[in-house]
Amino acid sequence: MRQAGMYSGILSGGGISGRTGPHLLPLARIKKIMKKSSVDVKMISGEAPLVFSKACELFIEELTKRSWNMTIHGKRRTLHKEDVASAVATTDVFDFLIDLVHPNGNDVNEDDHVPEN
Amino acid sequence: MDEHEKLLPIANVGRIMKQILPPTAKISKESKETMNECASEFISFVTGEASAKCRNDNRKTINGDDICWALASLGFDDCSNAVVRYLNKSREFERGRAAASSSAANQNKQDYVVAGSSNCSERR
Repeated sequence: MRQAGMYSGILSGGGISGRTGPHLLPLARIKKIMKKSSVDVKMISGEAPLVFSKACELFIEELTKRSWNMTIHGKRRTLHKEDVASAVATTDVFDFLIDLVHPNGNDVNEDDHVPEN
Repeated sequence: MDEHEKLLPIANVGRIMKQILPPTAKISKESKETMNECASEFISFVTGEASAKCRNDNRKTINGDDICWALASLGFDDCSNAVVRYLNKSREFERGRAAASSSAANQNKQDYVVAGSSNCSERR
């Protein structure tokens, strides 16, 4: 993997998440997660983990913001796991996470009360 | 779930969460762990889509453009637009470096400033 120093100019100099300086997320770890996703994933360009480091940051920010809305709605100041679950349930683009945040997927007979709002 | 083996460092995830929340907000440990699992799932999900595209195009290597395409394809439009800008900037940087190291030519490089927000969601 290329050294982080090569890209720090991009990340801290362009106003994109410059507040935290160089990489927010480790590229090697991202690459491992990518490889693990499927046996079909064989070769990954150097750019791909870099793109993901940005995409993941944005993803986490978006999900966090929506989760926090749930926290506020519940008149609390601590973001809980349930708030993340609620945010997932109420956002279409996060449908792929439903089974992850509602761990009742093993038994399809169980009632899964997902707020439909 | 064996995804626990391949997660991002929880500290990094926590930092990103903290950044976007008000300073007085508190974040439970469990919610950070959940967010971490969601992030890994996100990477797997998008990678799967990108990988399928590469297979379709008879290419072996997943590149940055494939990830951008997959993000848009799966509905992460704002995210896709933001990372396309990010990727282009990164490529400009690389081209600048390559040019600088291959010759001592005087090169006027414009500063590319990313205008506007690069967040997934709309502005507050």
